[in-house]
Amino acid sequence: MVRWQRGLWLFFLPSFGLLALVLLWPLGYAIYLSFFDYYLGSGERTFVGLANYADLLTEARLWNSMWTTILIAFGSVGVEFVVGFALALALYRLNRSAKVFSVLLFLPHIVTPVVAALFLKWMLASNWGFVDATLLTFNIEPPDWLGSPVWAKVSVILADAWVFTPLIMMVLYAALQGLDTSLIEAAQIDGAGSWSTLRHVIVPALIPAIIFVISIRLMDVFRFFDLIYVLTGGGPGTATETITIYTYQLGFRMLEVGKASALGVITLIVVAALLLTINRGLNKAYRGGDQ
Amino acid sequence: MSAQSHPGRQRTTWLIFIGLCLFTFVNLMPLLWAVLTSLKDPRDAFTIPPTLIFEPTLKYHIEVWTENDFVFYLMNSLIVSAGTVFISVPAGSLAAYAISRIPRRSAGPILSALFTIRMFPHMLLAIPFFVMGTFLDMIDTYPLLILALVAINQPFTIWLMHGFFLEIPRDLDEAAAIDGCSNWQAFRIVILPLAKPGMTVAALFSLLLSYNEFLFALVLTGTDTKTLPVAIAAFGGEDISSWSLSAAGAIGIMLPIVVVMLLLQRHLVRGLTAGAVKG
Repeated sequence: MVRWQRGLWLFFLPSFGLLALVLLWPLGYAIYLSFFDYYLGSGERTFVGLANYADLLTEARLWNSMWTTILIAFGSVGVEFVVGFALALALYRLNRSAKVFSVLLFLPHIVTPVVAALFLKWMLASNWGFVDATLLTFNIEPPDWLGSPVWAKVSVILADAWVFTPLIMMVLYAALQGLDTSLIEAAQIDGAGSWSTLRHVIVPALIPAIIFVISIRLMDVFRFFDLIYVLTGGGPGTATETITIYTYQLGFRMLEVGKASALGVITLIVVAALLLTINRGLNKAYRGGDQ
Repeated sequence: MSAQSHPGRQRTTWLIFIGLCLFTFVNLMPLLWAVLTSLKDPRDAFTIPPTLIFEPTLKYHIEVWTENDFVFYLMNSLIVSAGTVFISVPAGSLAAYAISRIPRRSAGPILSALFTIRMFPHMLLAIPFFVMGTFLDMIDTYPLLILALVAINQPFTIWLMHGFFLEIPRDLDEAAAIDGCSNWQAFRIVILPLAKPGMTVAALFSLLLSYNEFLFALVLTGTDTKTLPVAIAAFGGEDISSWSLSAAGAIGIMLPIVVVMLLLQRHLVRGLTAGAVKG
C-alpha cells in the first residue's frame, strides 16, 4: 500500500508544474524586478538594490494609501460581519422560508464585481441616481456620494459590504446549521435567554468559522480592485486610493514596474503579518475567554 | 424546534420574517434599479422623482447586443473561460486526488501552502505577467490571459476537489490496488466516474471565476481579446447619456451567472470557501 501511495506523486506533476510556471516563476520575477529602477516605457533597467523600498516607505502617498486600505478593510469587514451574522441568525431562526431569502440575499455576491460596481454607481450618481433622485423628491440636499473625500470612503465601504455581506452570511449560516442543536436546547432549558445563549453557546461554537471568514475577507480586501476602480478610480484625489489602486497606477499608468513590484511585495508582507496577528489574537480570545 | 408553539417565540419569528423581507427589498434595490433603467427611454431615466411606472422597451437590450461589439466580447469571455477550465480542472483534480490519498501529515502542509497562495495580491502577479507578456509580444492574446487565470484558479480548484475526493471512500482505491490496478487505472476506472459530479461543480465555479475576472483582463487584453467585464466597465463607467444601453449590457452579462448560480445552489458555500469550513 505504501508503494502504491508513493506512485501518486505523478498525479502532482501537471498541477505543480503549472503552479511553478504561472505562479512561482512570475512571483520570483516580480521580487527580482523590485530591485530595479525599471521604466517600461523606455525599457531602461538599472539595479538599485533596496532603493525602491526605501523610496516607497518614506513616501506620503504610500502611507496615505495604506491607511485608506486599513480604514476600508476594517470598516467594510466590520459592517459585513455584523450584518452577515445577524442575517445568518435570522435565516437559522426562520428555518423553512430561509431558502428563498438566502438565494435572494446572495444575488449581489454572485454578480460580476464590475457589474455590481456599475449598479451601485447608478444608484449613487449625483442628481439622476436613484438615491439622489429620491432624496431630491423630498427636498433633501444629498451629499456628493462619490465626489467628496469622506462620503466617497463611506460609499466604497458600503459597496464592499453590499457585495460581500452575503458571503459572510452564507458561511456563518452553514456553520450554524452544523451546530449541535442539543447544546442550544440544553442552554434554554437551563433558563438562558436568547442573548446569553448566543454569547455563551453559539458564538464560541462558531469561532473557527468566524476566524476563517474574517481572515478570508481581510486578505481579499487588500487585493480587491474591481469595485473601487469602477466606483471612484481611487478619487476624489487620492481619497479612496488603496494600496492595490496605487500599485495599479504605478505599474500600469506610470509604467514604473520596478517600484510597483516593490509595492506588491510590501502588500504581501503586510497581509501576511495582519493575518498572523488576527489568527493569534482570535485564537487567544477564544481559548482564554468565556470559561 | 420544540418551542414553536410558544406565542412569544412565534411573534419574534414573524418580526424576523418581516424584517428580512424589508432588508432583502432594500438590498436588491440597486439590481432592480438597473433592470428598470435598462427598460427605460432616457426621458424616463432622468427624472426627479425617479419614474417607477413607464412604458418598458426592450430596444436597448437588443441594441447593445446587435449594434455594438458585445457579441465579440462575449466570445472572448467564453474562449478565455473555457480555456481556463480545461487546463485548470483536470490538473487540479489529479493533484487533489493525490492529496486526498497521501497521509495526513504530508497533505496538511500542501493544503496550507495552497491556502497561503490564495493570499497573494493579484496585483503582484499582474505586473510580471504584463512585463513578460510585453517581452514575448503576447499582450492581447488568449494564451497569456488563460495562463494568468489558471494561476489564480488552480489553488481554488485543488481545495474544492480535495473536499470531493475525501468523500469517496479510500477502500475503493485499496480494493482496486489489491486487484492489481496501477494508480492511474484505479483513478480512471474506479474514482473518476464517482468524481464527475464534483468536477462539474469545480468546472462551473472556475467558469464563474474566469468570466467575472477583471484585473488581469484589464491589463493583459486589448482590442482583440477584450472580455465582457472590461468592455462594460469602459462602456458604462463614464457616459451618463448611454445609461439605458449600459444597464442593458450589465443585465445581459449578469443573467448567465444567475442561471449557473441556481444550478450550483447546493454547493455554493462549499465552493465559496473551497471546502475549508468543514476543517
